[in-house]
Amino acid sequence: MAELRFEAIGTSWQIDTRNPLATQLVDAIRERIELYDATWSRFRADSFVSRVAETAGTWRFPADAAPLFDLYRQLYDTTDGAVTPLVGRRLEELGYDRDYSLRPATHLTSVPAWDDVMHWDDGILTTTQPVVLDVGAAGKGYLVDIVAGLLRDAGIDEYVVDGSGDLVHRGDQPLRVGLEHPFDPKLAIGVYDLANGALCASAPGRRAWGTGLHHILDGLSGEPTTTVAATWASATTGLLADGLATALFFTTGERLASRFDFEYVRMFPDSRVEHSRHFTGELFT
Amino acid sequence: MTITLRTKTALVTLASIGLLGTLAGCSGTAQADGTSGGSGVATTGNSTGSTTNGTYKDGSYNADGSYVSPGGQETINVALTLKANVVTAITVKTVTADPTATQYEAMFVQGISKVVVGRTLDSLAVTKVSGSSLTSQGFDKALEAIKTAAAK
Repeated sequence: MAELRFEAIGTSWQIDTRNPLATQLVDAIRERIELYDATWSRFRADSFVSRVAETAGTWRFPADAAPLFDLYRQLYDTTDGAVTPLVGRRLEELGYDRDYSLRPATHLTSVPAWDDVMHWDDGILTTTQPVVLDVGAAGKGYLVDIVAGLLRDAGIDEYVVDGSGDLVHRGDQPLRVGLEHPFDPKLAIGVYDLANGALCASAPGRRAWGTGLHHILDGLSGEPTTTVAATWASATTGLLADGLATALFFTTGERLASRFDFEYVRMFPDSRVEHSRHFTGELFT
Repeated sequence: MTITLRTKTALVTLASIGLLGTLAGCSGTAQADGTSGGSGVATTGNSTGSTTNGTYKDGSYNADGSYVSPGGQETINVALTLKANVVTAITVKTVTADPTATQYEAMFVQGISKVVVGRTLDSLAVTKVSGSSLTSQGFDKALEAIKTAAAK
């Protein structure tokens, strides 16, 4: 087995393949990630979304934006507005900003309703006011898909792409994944057998910066969520798995299952867990 | 979420975060007062559960708590056993069940009242871990700087 480790979008990545990747492919992966970051990172002053945040207007997004916006809209509707890319401004105000000031502002604005401030149609975003987009709910899972797509295009049929815990797997041998305990990273609450699909996790704990302050915001109240401790979702793509892992903080698995095909585990602050019926793994109960 | 935790020696109000996380994560939150379920309330506002220098008395703890689940208000009873700062046993009983939860449990969800107990990752034959432990280096550094500033 060959491992490629690197840092990207502020976190650790690893790609496991049977044989080492060609230098050309590694370069292509780096460039693709850089392009994605230049589009979506609200932590970069020169990114596309940072321009969108400055002024209202009509914005033509790169081709990869459509699946992300489309999923966001579906999640927005299914969670009655709780999952929304429009939490960006509020996250900044709470201190999760470009400089990681981690200090909440005294005045907080509410998260705008999607249809009040923007319209997405066929690759073009029209905004009626400056909007701070944050695609943290599904963006990393989507980037894992994109990297996996580059491997597939290169003829590689056995791989694991690990975007610091957001995983896409392909191959005959299932991957045994520990589900990290949200309150103690030395522990696992269970294991999941991932085969030819994606597994993504969401948990606020380790990225909290103060009392009740973390990055998973409810778009309706603008407040960080408190009802769920951690979620894991498995689906055919990282985009979907990541988005659903976030959505499970705001709505039930059953409601999401009426629209999406996935498996999941959800853990509550009191250590109770629930899981979908065909979850392939073990929970330590 | 607020949980009142009673033992024969301590009464502790734990705010914001799960019982398990608070017990496992925060130091100086429990305040023994020698009474039986009496006064002596300590409150913690820590919501991260990520500090690791807490120490707690071995023993059995029992608590009632309520919180708002996505399906509505629920009341639960938690009993757990601590040994050397590790939860060795835990049971949770739902005091007020949410009918919606019961309904969807039957159709798609299983094990809503099961309680997980952590096992050390070292003891498991896993090649990957999925969770929230790996965060941005910039974030970690900034958080450390703020903690340092706050300690002065």
